[in-house]
Amino acid sequence: MINVLTDNLDDFASGLWVTTRLVAGSFVVALVLGTLVAALRVSASGALRRVGTVYVEIFRNVPLLVLLFIAFPGVLRGGVDISPWTSGIIALGVYTSAYVAEVLRSGVAAVSTGQLEAGLSLGFTPVSVLRRIVLPQAFRTVIGPLGSITIAMIKNSAIVGASIVALPDILKEARIVNSNTFQTTEAFFWAAACYLLLTVTLTFVFRGLESRYAIRR
Amino acid sequence: MGQQRTRRWAAALAACSIALGVAACGDEEEEAPGAGASTPAATSTTPPEKFAADTTMGKLQKKGEITIGVKYDVPPFGFKNPSTGDIEGFDIDFGKAVADALGVKPKYIEAISDNRIPFITDGTADLILSTMTINEERVKEINFTDPYFIAKGRILQKKGGDIGGVEDLAGKRVCTALGSTYEETLKKEAPKAKLRLVDSYSECLELVQNGGVDAVSTDDVILTGMIIQDDSLELVEGEELTTEPYGGGLKKGDTEFTEFLNGVLEKYESDGRWKAAYQKWLGQYTGEKAEPPTQTLEDVVPAA
Repeated sequence: MINVLTDNLDDFASGLWVTTRLVAGSFVVALVLGTLVAALRVSASGALRRVGTVYVEIFRNVPLLVLLFIAFPGVLRGGVDISPWTSGIIALGVYTSAYVAEVLRSGVAAVSTGQLEAGLSLGFTPVSVLRRIVLPQAFRTVIGPLGSITIAMIKNSAIVGASIVALPDILKEARIVNSNTFQTTEAFFWAAACYLLLTVTLTFVFRGLESRYAIRR
Repeated sequence: MGQQRTRRWAAALAACSIALGVAACGDEEEEAPGAGASTPAATSTTPPEKFAADTTMGKLQKKGEITIGVKYDVPPFGFKNPSTGDIEGFDIDFGKAVADALGVKPKYIEAISDNRIPFITDGTADLILSTMTINEERVKEINFTDPYFIAKGRILQKKGGDIGGVEDLAGKRVCTALGSTYEETLKKEAPKAKLRLVDSYSECLELVQNGGVDAVSTDDVILTGMIIQDDSLELVEGEELTTEPYGGGLKKGDTEFTEFLNGVLEKYESDGRWKAAYQKWLGQYTGEKAEPPTQTLEDVVPAA
């Protein structure tokens, strides 16, 4: 069992590194886009709210695999020379951002309207109320759900490697090991262990953040 | 890829029925899945032999069906005919010959490069005919028939590309299928190439068409299938990378079934059916003629 890992340590390590970079890049994209879209979703303007809703419904309801096909071969066909890395990070990031936006919106909704009114009556503009009063509190409430989304994203990242984008991530490296050694059970066991390493580490990070920042009610 | 491919193969099939007449193309209709237990066709004169119940052949006869893992996206060896939805190709024709020899119905399932050996080891498929190269590593996992086709490793690029041989692959993005022999061949022959390992050759075709990769490397016949679909692609001239003898794959240690399959293959090659299949799936496009392979499994992998 262990020899499949030790004999192919380079493959598993490089897969782990690829997945880590992919997930880190997508997380940044998801957080930035998700925050922007959440701001649209709670804005005072009905038109902006609708734009936010359309964004969330499109990217939450299209399968990730389809987004990957659009983001790589689709964009290439459109004549734009895009790299698999850019495609993979954008597709996974955009897909995840729809979930992030929904979680942030619910976080904003959980901040009592009294706070908002207090801010406005003290002379804050609506944007600075959102930025200085509502969002900081919203982020605290959503640390837990955000952790779940990130863990789901780590697992979804396997689809990037398995799709036509074909980044050599953990799963792909495990499949290469499998095709070279025919040690199917062992190869995928170690792939699962690599994913667990990432997700469990992240669980602890988010738990730490939560106990540090979460609001007790 | 979709439309162009559909049209080309539809045209190819139409041309086939016109040029070769109903007699030659008639076989294709009989292969339709669900056509019922196929009686030994006109091609085999003797009725199928009855096998002892404890042999694989006997078990398959009792079941009345043989499950054969084939490619679904590798014309002209195994592909889904876009107009009829049937699975057709050179591998399928040989599969039908095996089924006929047993007097059972062939059932085709998709076996991609990455899952075909597990399909045999776990019993999902009774036989694999999916452009599978016989090599030493695989011989340790499964049994092989004698080679039924010899392919050669080549490189494909867009017409006018600047690749002149394997040495030019350094720094280039090269696509091949995960689990194929080319993964290793390319790592050895072109260590500086950027390998893209995808699940199927149709994905490689998509990527080389739209510029996602610079080249595809695999068996010449698979690449020829791509050129049949898209003539803006070309084979890189020069020495072949490798020789790839295709064998049928079956469960490790099943000597009786191996011998039976080799018998079917021998008859298939000697009575002209092999040449007919070659002409139907390859010769009419490439204009080349070929003889059935004379090598045995021992010639390819001496240790086997």
